[in-house]
Amino acid sequence: MTAAIATSGLVKTFGQTRALNHLDLTVETGEVHGFLGPNGAGKSTTIRVLLGLLRADSGRAEVLGSDPWHSAVALHRRMAYVPGDVELWPNLTGGEAIDLLGRLRGGLNQARRADLIDRFDLDPTKKGRTYSKGNRQKVAIVAALASDAELLLLDEPTAGLDPLMEVVFQDVINQVKAEGRTVLLSSHILAQVEELADKVSIIRHGEIVQSGTLTEMRHLTRTSIEADTNKPVTGLDQIPGIHDLDATDGRVRFAVDGAHLNDAVRALSQFEIRTLISHPPTLEELMLRHYGDELAAVGGGQKSGDDDGEGR
Amino acid sequence: MTATAVRESTRAPANTSPGDVLAGTGTLIRFILRRDRIKLPAWLLGICVLLLQLTTAASNLTETEEQQADVRRFMEGAVGAIFGPGYGRDDISADLYVAGVYGLVFFVLAALMSIQLVSRHTRVEEQNGRAELLRSTVVGRYAQLTAVLTVAVGANAALALMISGTMAARDFGGDGLLFGASVGAVGLVFAGVTSLTVQITEYARTATSIAGAVLGGAWVVRVAGDMMNDYGSSLSWFSPLAWSNQTRPYVDGRWWPLVLSVGLAAVAAAAGYALSDRRDVGAGLVAARAGTPAAAGWLRSPFAVAFRLQRTALIWWTVALSMFGFMFGGFADQITDTDGISEDRIEMFGGSVDTLTEGFLGVITLFTASLAGVMLIHGIQAVRSEETKGRAEPVLATATSRWTWFGSYLAVLAIGLVAALLVAGFSSGVGAAISVGDGSYVWDVTAAHLAHVPGLLVILGIGALLFGVFPRAIAATWVVLGLGLFTGVFGTLMDIPSWLRNVLPMEHAGQPPLDDVAWPAMIILLVVAGGLVAGGLTAFRRRDLETK
Repeated sequence: MTAAIATSGLVKTFGQTRALNHLDLTVETGEVHGFLGPNGAGKSTTIRVLLGLLRADSGRAEVLGSDPWHSAVALHRRMAYVPGDVELWPNLTGGEAIDLLGRLRGGLNQARRADLIDRFDLDPTKKGRTYSKGNRQKVAIVAALASDAELLLLDEPTAGLDPLMEVVFQDVINQVKAEGRTVLLSSHILAQVEELADKVSIIRHGEIVQSGTLTEMRHLTRTSIEADTNKPVTGLDQIPGIHDLDATDGRVRFAVDGAHLNDAVRALSQFEIRTLISHPPTLEELMLRHYGDELAAVGGGQKSGDDDGEGR
Repeated sequence: MTATAVRESTRAPANTSPGDVLAGTGTLIRFILRRDRIKLPAWLLGICVLLLQLTTAASNLTETEEQQADVRRFMEGAVGAIFGPGYGRDDISADLYVAGVYGLVFFVLAALMSIQLVSRHTRVEEQNGRAELLRSTVVGRYAQLTAVLTVAVGANAALALMISGTMAARDFGGDGLLFGASVGAVGLVFAGVTSLTVQITEYARTATSIAGAVLGGAWVVRVAGDMMNDYGSSLSWFSPLAWSNQTRPYVDGRWWPLVLSVGLAAVAAAAGYALSDRRDVGAGLVAARAGTPAAAGWLRSPFAVAFRLQRTALIWWTVALSMFGFMFGGFADQITDTDGISEDRIEMFGGSVDTLTEGFLGVITLFTASLAGVMLIHGIQAVRSEETKGRAEPVLATATSRWTWFGSYLAVLAIGLVAALLVAGFSSGVGAAISVGDGSYVWDVTAAHLAHVPGLLVILGIGALLFGVFPRAIAATWVVLGLGLFTGVFGTLMDIPSWLRNVLPMEHAGQPPLDDVAWPAMIILLVVAGGLVAGGLTAFRRRDLETK
């Protein structure tokens, strides 16, 4: 498989602000790639560089095998984009806007357009200025997904959509995935990414701090274990890689690094396990691993930090 | 009114005390004053500064017997009716001239100030969803409208006093307060009218447009009425603008016509209150119409899109310029009547009695061309707001290059310019031909308008270059256009340095039909315009798109 998107060392500054700081991102053809990070981490800037709307100060970017700044137009025939903050023309209807964007890209699939309008329950006869934020978002989603584009760049596409539409969106993206198309899905809704993405990249301060499949990433972090045992548990704190150990009369809780999971479970089995619950790390915990220090700095604890993720 | 948005009147307050519907009015008044602490004083001061300048101009224009005779002629007949019914023209003086001719400018400004003020704090608030936030607190149903109308009454009263003070400072006669009140009365009427129009539609722009149309209609009725009869006919009295003229300041001032103004303002505001009861917050009385579910077949190229988005503006500009041209072309005969004409005017219209008509038409053509320049700069600014509002981004993310996208807009504007000047020039020429009785003016004046195209394209080019290189400075294009108009009209009366005249693109067209079309200059201007546009396109291709 060749990479649909490959960047190395991308740098983009706006005045004093360094929006992208040596960003290395690889998205393989045919995968749905989750692009995670809080507001201001550089997600939108990255996507705009990949669209050739912004020009990187240094570094290399390749999209579908070409440079996005120099071959913007040729590439755009093969790509579709949903901006995070959709603005429509006040005096054009949603239907007109969909057609306009589709035709400018080089045509759109009428059957799919009708199907998507139906599934997203969108009224295409309303003028742009009368749409709510969620409906503007739907217009952009329909315009992008009704195309035959091989690469979809979606910048927080479901911001403002209700949970029912969120389900429809996941359905549609799974369909897109089944057709073998590539999706870069920027989001801070972790459940959505967990549901859809094959691979995930986490961006922080304009840098990719971690990238891989969810399984790989989980291996790198801690699994939490909760067990009831017949014998009181002792000596677990001697095993390397065990954290947050809490043992009270026959019940033990701890977190263990992926590399030491085997040792920990073997040690635990000596105390006659009655029940055992293990949680793989959630995406939230993965994110918090990278952003935990920031939360601590603003006074939020490790656990209270997910309001940025699903508060919308 | 459609039935869908109209509510049963049983929902009107039945068992609430009057205080409830007005709850929070006082706080809202302070809130409006806080938000408009720059805007309102700027309007009031700006109007007074303009008045101060026009009083000086009026004094200079009415010094000699000859000038007074000239001004008197100007206040007669069809031309005079544009400005007012012409009271006191037999014994002209500077104060009379200000009230009788320049008064119209102040009526219009007061109306615009009030229209924008009321719309800004009612429908704009509702359209942006801020009214909802306010109304969810302890704010009564009528509080917002009452608050803004209170501020509008205060602003127009302040305007009346400030105008009266300005007139007094110039040592004009005793009717300064009456003139000020006449101006404020127009503002009051249109505050009332706007409080009515904002109830009708969901969109602030439509609401202000309707109020603006009422203003335009009031002017047309007054002009028509005043043309039918000296000092106005009964038709004039159907226009709120006429009432403010009929107070006859500095002639034999009378206050009672202003009772009509206050009455109309009160009736319109009362209707606004009544209608506001019959609709939901955020809704209009007229439900929004559904549009087409699919785009028209021709809407498939970037050029077609640019045309579609600029179409309405271009059509209205063309209509307005044509009406302007036809009207002033039609005055050619009267204005250039050599009987009792002043030296100033001969100088302004070409310097020779023989070519007075051509000179006048040259000035009118320059005016129309400058207005078309306003259209162009507005157009460039509209393209810029496509970018800053985030609407260019999804388009440029399709297979549309920067060149094609921006180039399409520039092409639409350039073609729109030629079409507008062609139609406006033809209308102006027909007006002049009818007025003077010489059919050759149709062609001459049309050609004269088109001769301004290259100079205006240079202005478009300057706008395009700024768009590409330094988009925040697009407004600097206004300076070039403004200087061009100023030197064109007053260049002969004042000493404008020749280097300045040389860098102004519109100067090189001369003042056709008075001057012959200078073909070499035209070609050079076209080349310069082409270079500027190419520079703008290239620079835009090389810069970042500005995103939200």
